[in-house]
Amino acid sequence: MKIYTGSGDRGKTSLFSGERVAKNNLRTEAYGDLDELNSCLGALTAALEESHESIAEIRQIQSDLFHIGACLATTPGSPSAAALEPFDEQKSLYLETAIDRMDQNLPPLKGFILPGGRMPAALAHVARTVCRRAERHTVGLSEDKTTGQTPDAYQAVLVYLNRLSDYLFVLARYCNHLAGEADILWKK
Amino acid sequence: MEDVTYETKLLERRRLSDNTFEAIFYRPSGFEFTAGQRIRLIHGGLERDYSLANAPDEAVLVLCIRQVAAGRFSTLLSATPVGTAFTFNGPHGYFVFRASARPPVFVATGTGVAPFVAMARSSVSAFTLLHGVRQAGECYYASLFRSKARRYVVCLSDEDPPEAGTFHGRVTDYLALQLEPDRYDFYLCGRGEMIRDVTWLVDDRFPDSMVYTEIFY
Repeated sequence: MKIYTGSGDRGKTSLFSGERVAKNNLRTEAYGDLDELNSCLGALTAALEESHESIAEIRQIQSDLFHIGACLATTPGSPSAAALEPFDEQKSLYLETAIDRMDQNLPPLKGFILPGGRMPAALAHVARTVCRRAERHTVGLSEDKTTGQTPDAYQAVLVYLNRLSDYLFVLARYCNHLAGEADILWKK
Repeated sequence: MEDVTYETKLLERRRLSDNTFEAIFYRPSGFEFTAGQRIRLIHGGLERDYSLANAPDEAVLVLCIRQVAAGRFSTLLSATPVGTAFTFNGPHGYFVFRASARPPVFVATGTGVAPFVAMARSSVSAFTLLHGVRQAGECYYASLFRSKARRYVVCLSDEDPPEAGTFHGRVTDYLALQLEPDRYDFYLCGRGEMIRDVTWLVDDRFPDSMVYTEIFY
């Protein structure tokens, strides 16, 4: 199927809820960050061994990010919002379980660590920083007073992104650990 | 979510114009959809997406097909015997009617009118419909739309002079010249070029309107 119409050639795009907005709109920035994060996770899975235990987990996260992207592309309270399944805060729980599972196999953290090590770990750190940017833009959206949204419209998403950043930090350490690579500690 | 695949068969063809027809399919139990959604029809290694033109509570599934010489699936559907088995999955897409305080304006070219047929055959009414076709013989579903639309405009791009009750020109010409500036909910179904041109017109002439699109190829 032809995937382009050119209707965005003049710098505007259509939200899922139908509004035409500038492509540097806060909402498009936020779901653009999720798209970037999802691509980083794709690169991370490509760098992992096919049998790596975290791949299925990461694929689930990628699907969750699609869902979150649809939520962020929809103005709360719009007629389109009713067509979307709300993002469930419970989805953060499997991230917590995964964090705890990996963490119990890791040596204690002894200080600040430098992003890097083996390629999968380095990519997990890149994903973590993009995730933090997505979180910052989502905070901006949640504080937007112009849409008439409720203050907690993005609460479940904020919890998920905050937990996902932690997950990616631990995953980076875990990838290095499985590869026999020690944390690279920050030295003054 | 995994696509659910259904078995169906062709029940009937109904001619709409010289090169357009409805393909009527058996509706398998358990298949539900919302007016405006599409299915992916599969047969003999070919697959193609089609919007459903029937109301969700009808006993059959209806596709609106324009026979295109180079179109492998439309050629198949125009020639295959009644009773031929097909599979399909779906429903797909979010091109569904979303009620709001803004007047709805449906814009279609050719068989891109199919999702609006489904909406009109269900509970949607009091809309404006601009249907772009080349000749008056292609304004199939005219009686349905005359009974359900607040304003039904056939935009004839080829015929000159225009028939009474039609607009001579493209749908974009009508939007640029005739539709009063206001905030609308625009629903666009047609080729990419039409969607681009109408979207730009909306940006320029109807700011703060909503735009929902379905590319028809």
